[in-house]
Amino acid sequence: MTGLDALPPGASVRRRADGFSDYLVGPAARRRILTDRFIETFEAWGYGFMVTPLIEPLDTIAAGVGGAQQSALFRFMDSDGALLALVGERTVSVARVVATQLQEGPFPLRLCYAGSVLRNQAPNGGRRRESLQAGCELIGAGGLAADAECIALAAAALERGGMEHIQVDVGHADFIPGLLDSAGLDPDAREEVLAALARRDLVAVESALEGTDAADAERRLLLAFPTLRGGREILDTAAGGLRGERPHRALQELAQLWDLLDAHAITDRVHLDLGAVRDWGYYTGPTFEVFSDDSGFALGSGGRYDTLLSRFGTALPATGFVLHVDRCHDSIARRAGSVTGSDAVHVSWENDAYDDALELARSLRNRGVACVCDLDADGDGVVRVTASGVRWSHRGRDEHGTVDAAVTALVSRPA
Amino acid sequence: MKGLRVALPGGTLFDAACSLLNAAGIARLDPARFDRELSVRDGDDTYVKVRPTDVPVYVEMGGCECGIVGKDVLWESSRECYELADLGFGQCRLVLAAPRDSALAQGTWPQSLRVATKYPESARRFFAARSLNVVVIRLHGSVELAPLTGLADCVLDITATGRTLAANNLVEIVEAGASTARFIANHAALKTRNETVAAIAVALRRAAAERLTKGAA
Repeated sequence: MTGLDALPPGASVRRRADGFSDYLVGPAARRRILTDRFIETFEAWGYGFMVTPLIEPLDTIAAGVGGAQQSALFRFMDSDGALLALVGERTVSVARVVATQLQEGPFPLRLCYAGSVLRNQAPNGGRRRESLQAGCELIGAGGLAADAECIALAAAALERGGMEHIQVDVGHADFIPGLLDSAGLDPDAREEVLAALARRDLVAVESALEGTDAADAERRLLLAFPTLRGGREILDTAAGGLRGERPHRALQELAQLWDLLDAHAITDRVHLDLGAVRDWGYYTGPTFEVFSDDSGFALGSGGRYDTLLSRFGTALPATGFVLHVDRCHDSIARRAGSVTGSDAVHVSWENDAYDDALELARSLRNRGVACVCDLDADGDGVVRVTASGVRWSHRGRDEHGTVDAAVTALVSRPA
Repeated sequence: MKGLRVALPGGTLFDAACSLLNAAGIARLDPARFDRELSVRDGDDTYVKVRPTDVPVYVEMGGCECGIVGKDVLWESSRECYELADLGFGQCRLVLAAPRDSALAQGTWPQSLRVATKYPESARRFFAARSLNVVVIRLHGSVELAPLTGLADCVLDITATGRTLAANNLVEIVEAGASTARFIANHAALKTRNETVAAIAVALRRAAAERLTKGAA
């Protein structure tokens, strides 16, 4: 070992950039399988897989996401001096593609993707700067059935990926802004409360409401903020005493959405969450987040964003979601006994039986059995090919036979 | 249901945090036990004593479901946690202070200002709204020495009584913020363990309010 005072020559060459990860064989495979399961589920629901670039012009990104998210991007300069950025999320890219290349439809358009996203977070915080996201966008459908489909699909994909005890929290982006409207707050107080909510600082929400003339029903709801959750019944509780039309409309939409989710048979995993804090500048309707009981972060999130596509010149309603593959992978890795390593059949050979060994390996691979063939003679594989035939062990018994017999036996071996 | 993991701040807030949890009927903690062990079981719950600045880290990353920490620490932290309740204790203020005989103390803001502080993030945000040419010098202790030695023109520092400032011939120019202890919670825990976490917030608020009335009486 070498101390900090005397780093070995070339130590800087061996560095990996902070906040980035190498995934070695087991974890990398699990992460890929997880992504595959998400995409398979998306495709089973008719969402077509598409790919967008890792880099977008900063102007394109700025049309979609707010300043705080923009400032967390890795940025650099194109050859003509224009600013480019590594994407921090991919919905904006999909919106750009739809508005500029798929604007003729047919709608609704169901699209899905998976890819890296990058955030230039301060190093040493334990946060990832590169992470893998898989997501869906349902574009050109303005009704709540589209929102319900996305929520049900997100839950189905996570469960297909092996997530256990998932919980979906469904909120509405217009409820709290609507509540603030009907509370009769002046614009300054309204901004203060919204900003405090966005910071998740409920102490500041309370002090911002003090000294305002917010109506009682609205004040009560805003202060009960973290506990405004439950089943369909909380909608009636919340509606009592509210005067404004806007919050009532949000509550009505949530009631209809609940019934649709019930039809999707997932309300046992759904909570309505009127206090959901989301990006109010971006989302325009129902929003949701998915949690499991063994992760401190949301595993997935999404919602309706009806204004985004118009910023690219094609006004279309849209809803969608993203699943955080790395957080899901962390959650799986924390649970014992879920390791799915690769177990390729190891083929060895003697003397001049390399031809036969390769033929055996070819046959196995063509039948979908993973196998590794030694590069040198006299290895100790579970399958040994000699000039006089093949020896292998099957269900604990040693067997012997021709190449064809070995292939037949090994193809049918228990997983 | 498994127990909660709660992060408590070591240092000046520690004893009061334990006694408020006890008074609220949430835990039965003996602060002295934490001298021997950093992690203490209480029923199904686990309490860990960590550096105050580490409390938001534990809570954001899900190492603990919730925690107690001073608002001054949250100003400085970029961690995303839910701040659920003001617990009232641990009162202190973040103030800008300058030598008694300086122009700043006479009410004249200079064009450029060197500020020594242990709170660089708070300083950055405080001065962002003011059109001054500010150089923030981050120190790790005894910032009062910076103006005395000419290292800085003023300090942005936490004060509870103002005595340390006065002893070093510094006067308060302006208050940047007032701090008390807060109850914070992890984002996912607030959703998946909502009833438990919300109940603790309510019990702590009630106990804090009772303590305040008693203190006033």
